[in-house]
Parts: sequence; structure tokens; C-alpha cells
Amino acid sequence: MRIIFLKTVVKSFLCAAFFAVASSASAATEGTDYVTLEKSIPNADKTLIKVFSYDCPFCYRYDKKVTGAVVQKLEGVVKFEPFPLETKAKYAQQAARIFAVLILKDNAAGTSLIDDKSLFKKAKMAYYEAYHDKKERWDGGENDFLKTGLDAAGMSRADYDAAVKDPRVEELFQRWKAGYDVAKIQGIPAYVVNGKYLIYTKNIRSEDGLVALIKELAAK
Amino acid sequence: MRRENTGGIWRALRSSPVETLYRWQNRRFLWLLMAAVTGALALIAHVFFQNYLYMPPCEHCVYIRFAMLVITAGGLVAAINPKILALKWIGCIAAFYGSIIGIMYTLTLNKIHHAVHDPDAIFGVQGCSTEPNFPFDLPLAQWSPGWFKPTGDCGYDAPIVPSGVTLDSIQQWFVSMYTASDGWYLIPPLKFLNMAQSCFLAFGVIFILLVIMVIVWGMKAAKNAK
Repeated sequence: MRIIFLKTVVKSFLCAAFFAVASSASAATEGTDYVTLEKSIPNADKTLIKVFSYDCPFCYRYDKKVTGAVVQKLEGVVKFEPFPLETKAKYAQQAARIFAVLILKDNAAGTSLIDDKSLFKKAKMAYYEAYHDKKERWDGGENDFLKTGLDAAGMSRADYDAAVKDPRVEELFQRWKAGYDVAKIQGIPAYVVNGKYLIYTKNIRSEDGLVALIKELAAK
Repeated sequence: MRRENTGGIWRALRSSPVETLYRWQNRRFLWLLMAAVTGALALIAHVFFQNYLYMPPCEHCVYIRFAMLVITAGGLVAAINPKILALKWIGCIAAFYGSIIGIMYTLTLNKIHHAVHDPDAIFGVQGCSTEPNFPFDLPLAQWSPGWFKPTGDCGYDAPIVPSGVTLDSIQQWFVSMYTASDGWYLIPPLKFLNMAQSCFLAFGVIFILLVIMVIVWGMKAAKNAK
């Protein structure tokens, strides 16, 4: 009788411990894993926003090794929206405009922004590689900078000059300005879920952990 | 003569360490030495490495510069007259504060330095902010961008020479050396002690000396109270 009672106590204790561990493993903690933005990014439900700049070494590293795989695993859960920061780098404004043009072209062609065929991705990776690997600083000026991205995307300067006048380019440019306040909180890269939850980059421990966290925040 | 003086100093330190160290902290020399060393380190970083060798400072590099200059300021205030208790307190607090934040900044920078130089490192590191955040919200980057605006990349301090610039032979020698080591090191060919580690040692030595001096100060005060 006594043994049965002890067994029941031990079983109950183990069950409680298991559920405690299981629930703590899955629950994202505000203040540790993420923070709720005081000012949300509008029209961002079911999105994963990534605030980045071509001159940020960790943005490059995340885009090379993490972002694509994570976005692929989140297909159907959130839509990926890159937010180029238009204030940080020397040619940040030019970069934001060229990215806007290329994202619109990708969208029109139905190309995913993480696809290797994406013009946006081609230009973005070309800027990253030029800046970080080749130490290119485009001392010749804006035209040299634009050439790097346009050559990678296979777009002529004349086509770009025409496309950049599209009012939707300016709309995207204005929308991305919200990234400035987000970037001030913990720097970049900055992942934001649903325009509300900013993930603390330093506490991202693995690709799967990041996917699970985004899924949980997207469902909030 | 010089040897005798030096010998005399060490003899005094050995025979009555508390009295000797207390006497020293009430003289200007040590405070001025601390101010001169930290001021010189900040000045060399700005004039020689940043301006002459085109090694732009990263975010934590300008914070470290700030911490050094806080210690410099503290040393100068105390050196006005270390026998005046208020001035000595100000010097002491500023130097402690500068060395502690300096140690914290160097530890963070060292972590970032290793992460950016290790191609496989991704998780567990936060890079740099988009704008510098100095203690007490001091807008130092606006007041003196040349000194306090981070113009370098996060965790990197290798020379970035603008195109069209012709380097003189001394510049060329240093730039080649630091480019080959992909950043600043105390001994570049060996990649021995990066900037964060070297500054950590400087702040650490200052902190330890301050602790010793404060202990001596406390012992002397306790002795006088008796």
C-alpha cells in the first residue's frame, strides 16, 4: 500500500516536472526572447520583417546562412518583408530605392525574395559581397554604387531611372522608414513579427529555435 | 643619483607601504600619470590610427575612447590638488567609473571581434547599434563627430584607405601591416592582443591600482580615527 502511494507521488512529481519543462521550453519570454514594440509597424499582420543594411556584417551573415532557410520553413505562416535601413550606410538611400525597384519587379514576376533568381536578392548579395569581402566603398560616388547592384540584377541604368519614378517605390521607401525606430532598440539585423514583436538577436541560439519563436509570435 | 632615488622609493614602499602609497596619492604625480597615459592612448587612437592610418573606429571603440577620457578628466581634477578631499573623491570616482565601463565595453567588443572574424559564428551575438548610445545620453557623436562618431564597421578596425589617396612610406608600412593582420593587434604579425584585449589590460591595471589606493586610503583613515 505504502509502495503504491510512493509510486503515485513520484509519478505525479515527474509528470509535473515534465510539463513544467515542456511549457517553459516552448514559451517565448518577453524581455529575453523578444520585446513588444511601443510603436507597431502598420499593415504588418502575418509578416516577418527584417531590418538590415548592406554595411552590417551580421546582416550579411544572417542573410547568407539563416534568413532564406528560416523563411522557407515559415511558408504559409508569415510573409517575408525586407526593410532596408535608409539611414545607416553612406549609400543607404540609394540602396533602399534600388531594392524597392527590384522587389517590385520580383513581385510582378512572382519570384520569392529568397529565391536565387530574385533580382532583389542578387543585388543585395552583390552589395554585401562588395562591401564586406572586397572592401569596396564606392569612393567614385553614387553612380558606382548603383552600378554594382544593377549589374548584379541585370538591369540597365536607363530602365532603373524609369522604374524608380514609380510611385510604389516611394511608398515602399516611406514604409521602410519605420525600420529606423526598430533599429535603434538593439541594432541590426532586427527581425520583427507581425510588426509588433522584435526578436532579440543575441538570444537566437539556432535556426529551428528562431523558426519556433516566429511561429509562436505570429500566432499571438 | 637617479638609481639612489629609485632605490629609495622602492625601499620606502617595502618598509612602510601604507604610508608611502598614501603619501603618493596625495601628490599630483600619480594622478597626472594616469591622466597622461589614458589621454595619450585616446589621442593616439584618434590622431594616429583613425586619421593617419585610416582605421575608422567602430561603435564600441568610441565607447572605449569615452571611458579613457573619463579617467583622464578624473585624473586632471584630482591633480589640481589631491590633498583637497572633494577633488580626490571626484578623481577617484571618475577613474573607477571609467575603468569599470571600459572593462565592460572591452569585453563586449572582444566578443564581437571574435564573432566577426569567425566565419562560422552567427548565433548568440548582437552586433552594433545604428547610433551610438553614450552613458547619460550624452550626444557626444553630435558634439564631436571626429572623436565619437563610429565610422567603422562593427567589430572591424582594419585600415580602409579611400581611393585616390597617396600614402607616404610610413603610412604604407603600417597600413600594409594592419591590412595583412585584418585589424589592429599589439603585435600584428602574430595577431597577439587585439584592441579590445589590449584596452582591457589598460583598464584592468588602472582598476587594480585604484582598488589598492582606496584600501590604503581606508587603512590610513581607520588608523587616524583611532
